[in-house]
Amino acid sequence: MGFLRLPDVETSERENLADLPFLLLTLLLTGLGLVMIYSSSFARALYETGDSAYYFKRQLVFSLIGAAELLAVSRVKPELLKKLAFPVLGISIVFLILVFVPGIGQSENGATRWIRLGISFQPSEIAKLGVILSYAAMIASFQEKMETFRYGIAPFAAILAVIVVLLRLEPHNSAIVIIACTAGAMLFLGGVRYRWFVLGGGVMLLGLAVILGAGGYEASRITAWRDPFSDPSDSGYQIIQSLYAIGSGGLLGLGFGQGRQKYLYLPEEHNDYIFAIVCEELGLAGALAILLLYALLILRGYWIAMHVRDRFLSLTVAGITTLTALQVFFNIGVVTNLLPSTGISLPFFSYGGTALLIQLGEMGIILSASRRCSAGFL
Amino acid sequence: MKSHIPKPRMPGGANRIILRRTAVLMALFGVLVFVPLAGKLIQLQILRHEELGRMAADNQTRTSSITPARGTIYDRNMNVLAVSADVENVCIDPNELALSGQDTDAIAESLSSLLNVDKGWILQRMEDTGYRYQIVKRKVEQEEASAVRAYIARQNITGVYLEPDTKRYYPEGTLAAQLLGFVGSDNTGLDGVEAAWDEALTGAAGRIISAKGNYGSAMPYHHETYYDPVRGSSLVLTIDETVQQMLEKEMREAVAQYDVRNGAFGVIMDVNTGEILAMATLGAYDPNRYAEILDLGTRQTLEEQHRLALLAEGEERDRLLAEYSTALAEARLAQWRNRVIADGYEPGSTFKSITLAAALEEGAVSLSDGFYCSGSTSIKGRSKPLHCWKSAGHGQQTTAEALQNSCNVAFANIGIRLGGEKLYEYVQKFGLTEKTGIELYGEASGIFFDEATLSNPDSYASLASAAFGQTFKITPLQLVRAVAAVVNGGYLLEPHVVYQVLDDDGNVLEQHDRTVIRQVISRQTSRTMCGLLESVVSQGTAKNAQIAGYRIGGKTGTSEKIDVFDENGNMVEDKIVSFIGIAPMDDPKIVALVALDTPSTETGYYISGGQMGAPTVRDVLSGVLPYLGIKPDYSEEAANRAEVSVPDLTGMTEQEAETALSELPLTFRREGSRERITDQVPAAGAVIPGNSEILVYFGDTQSDETVLVPDVTGRSAQEANEILTAQGLYMKIVGAEGAEHTIVAVRQTPAAGTAAEPGTVVSVEFSDLSAQD
Repeated sequence: MGFLRLPDVETSERENLADLPFLLLTLLLTGLGLVMIYSSSFARALYETGDSAYYFKRQLVFSLIGAAELLAVSRVKPELLKKLAFPVLGISIVFLILVFVPGIGQSENGATRWIRLGISFQPSEIAKLGVILSYAAMIASFQEKMETFRYGIAPFAAILAVIVVLLRLEPHNSAIVIIACTAGAMLFLGGVRYRWFVLGGGVMLLGLAVILGAGGYEASRITAWRDPFSDPSDSGYQIIQSLYAIGSGGLLGLGFGQGRQKYLYLPEEHNDYIFAIVCEELGLAGALAILLLYALLILRGYWIAMHVRDRFLSLTVAGITTLTALQVFFNIGVVTNLLPSTGISLPFFSYGGTALLIQLGEMGIILSASRRCSAGFL
Repeated sequence: MKSHIPKPRMPGGANRIILRRTAVLMALFGVLVFVPLAGKLIQLQILRHEELGRMAADNQTRTSSITPARGTIYDRNMNVLAVSADVENVCIDPNELALSGQDTDAIAESLSSLLNVDKGWILQRMEDTGYRYQIVKRKVEQEEASAVRAYIARQNITGVYLEPDTKRYYPEGTLAAQLLGFVGSDNTGLDGVEAAWDEALTGAAGRIISAKGNYGSAMPYHHETYYDPVRGSSLVLTIDETVQQMLEKEMREAVAQYDVRNGAFGVIMDVNTGEILAMATLGAYDPNRYAEILDLGTRQTLEEQHRLALLAEGEERDRLLAEYSTALAEARLAQWRNRVIADGYEPGSTFKSITLAAALEEGAVSLSDGFYCSGSTSIKGRSKPLHCWKSAGHGQQTTAEALQNSCNVAFANIGIRLGGEKLYEYVQKFGLTEKTGIELYGEASGIFFDEATLSNPDSYASLASAAFGQTFKITPLQLVRAVAAVVNGGYLLEPHVVYQVLDDDGNVLEQHDRTVIRQVISRQTSRTMCGLLESVVSQGTAKNAQIAGYRIGGKTGTSEKIDVFDENGNMVEDKIVSFIGIAPMDDPKIVALVALDTPSTETGYYISGGQMGAPTVRDVLSGVLPYLGIKPDYSEEAANRAEVSVPDLTGMTEQEAETALSELPLTFRREGSRERITDQVPAAGAVIPGNSEILVYFGDTQSDETVLVPDVTGRSAQEANEILTAQGLYMKIVGAEGAEHTIVAVRQTPAAGTAAEPGTVVSVEFSDLSAQD
């Protein structure tokens, strides 16, 4: 396990070790995700490209790059991260603006969420990291002043407002929700008074009410959520197909590769809705096992956050862990129709190279930070 | 948990807060949020597993249906009455046509000329570009279909295609149309046997349920279930195509001869099995084109109505068009109606056989009883006196004579003697208040008095008129079945029109055999009734039903339509004349009823069952009985009516000729003086009446002079025979025979004035003009 050791830091051996359980959980989830990508995508890949392994191959490449990236980032000196906090935030805001530049931004179904610069990616993914890092840095330096409005609220709200406005213009509501929740969680950790959360929650609910009251596609999503079968061929179609997949899985599933809903019935079957295919093929048993892996990863993330002997790193780790947890919760909540439909991908499982690279990069940050833990774990 | 948390190494109280709050998030996001997720998964995957799984399976499978061929309908001798053949529908895909950028106008033009469909109409169909399926022409036969197929291939057309379908053919056209019914464009039986046996004839559509990806992409795993189509069963009817043809032919001729205004109905039943051998209603229709009005007069009236409606404008036009549609629909329903089962009618005197059978069975009357008819009688509870059809009265009559005379006065008394309760009981027992249960839809059950009215001790009015068959309605089939019970030993049978149901391989799935519902009268009473009914034909009102060599029984009927009013509200004196005949009377085999609705008063015939119904049934039976293998039996006195085929006598000596004719009821007269016969009149093979004389030439040849057939109408049989024989012609007697002055020749073939060779047989129809019932 030599690679886990950070050679150039003059501390005890134990403290220089990255967290092995977290690493293993990350790799395990990434590997399982890759396998499920193959199973869920081959019908569509065959239909669209003639190569049933098309999506799998692409995701495999990104997974390998991502694994290397994970290890590389995990070896970065954690102190370096603090210096990167605001540059990352700045870059992400630039990207969020670039989205609206014709030729760079890419529209899809009326929303402009992608940037194409050699590779395609969603700047919102980087913004998430930017918010986490900048918040962590600010909270870490403001310390007790976090209880004041001037320090504890105003600068954070300003950053969040810029990002939320830019995301709303795309529009990208799910990213707003994720980022807002993550930001809230970090302010919570930073010691902001509870009344601000009441206020913040109120603002979010108000915003939600305004958006839904406008009667756009968001309102129809609510209707489809409450009764998907009221419009089975249109707004309810996707969730119905997802429920078909999950429901037909039963306890033990149809068997790996034996799913039927992926035959072009379930849209986004290797993407946002990949977990429905997991449920169909691996059954309740497989689905709960994967939920357990996520839970372990998240618990371990917070555990690391609590053991890192640095405020910034602790907040960063907690922030990334919260972000991951939120994505898992929202994604599976949507797929099972626990929550209204919205486009949130499932970390490590959903198809998408850059998203995976960013997620693995974030896991790398946690691993890097874990080298500053106060206790050994191996 | 707290004990595991190491002491904060970070400076300041803020660290403590972070630590504590991280633990809160840990509990929230590491544990709590997974609870609803797991709960939802359990709900979907365990609790709703079956429901969602089934819905998913429905979602993932495609069912293609395979329509089986509809079963064939055969007559009892396996002659085809209805059969399905493969045809094709010419369809277009308007969407495809629009997208492909082909010259739709040219395609419409070509289809129009190939299929003889209006081009504008096709273009209209093509404009429905939101659709992918429109039928241009249904049920196209092979020739046209091939032409379309060739056109599609030659021009490389897309968006025009053919789909398989089946079409029903009725090779015999109008024959038994109302009985067979017809099949709609969706291949569902809509009337008659086709409707009542639709399920059996249709079979079960087969299905291929195959797992399919969306957009029809195939799934790699094997999941295909094939349900065989069950071919429709075939039906063997009890109907005999030949008997049916004979019945319909004679009915058509009667309708023409007596200028019958309102159609006719007839039915022939096997008295011992209840099997219907023929069932016909005129005016008919052609089930191959069931929507067309077949009756020329009705069709012209409708066309005129339509023409006038189109000439009108605005609301008037709409109103007239609506009226036309209603009239057309009514005309269709009328021509589709099977009156033998669907409509009650007043049976009239044919019902007297039922009354008498009941009275004899109950001992209410005996054969030795006497009935006096002065022409009318008063009935308790009846305001006006009851008149007999013969106003002069029948005088003193025996029971048998009362039936022969069809005396209403006598039957009113027989009814009163029997009593209303008993008559009602027998009406019920004879099945006249219930449906017969024949295997067809739309059967009526008749309208009869209730028991209280019939057995009212204060008034015999209803009882009296019911006793001779008036003021109530029963269906022809009910009557035929009841009369069959009267003559077959007393057994009321279930009538059948379907004999067997056969599967695709000809195995019998179902068979309808003789089913006795109950015995109504004793064999003894039945035998007595047979004798009485035979006497009606031999001596009574039905002499016109006589057929030489056969013992025919029966009962005439002439009934006024009780519920038809003209536009002024007056009761129309339209009559239904009928005859129900049974043969042969020594061992009854079949019963035949023919009723003619509203014969014209202008043909010169007296409107009565005896004058019109009896001859029609006679003509039916004279074909049907030999066809059914019932041999004529000529008694001594009927020998002159037996028909003989003339043998070839040429080349014979006189001695040899005598020998050759010794076995036959023929004599010969010689001409010429040579040794051997050189010629004969009539020629060998001619069929002439028995007891005739053949002219044989010994050396001489017959003269080739023809004679003019003299007019013998109005003559008695003896006179007519003398007149014809004098001209060297032979007479064949058809119909009533007897020395009474009321029996005279009414028709002859060839007609008077026709040139005929000597030895020609002139068929002369005699009618008993006294048969006024």
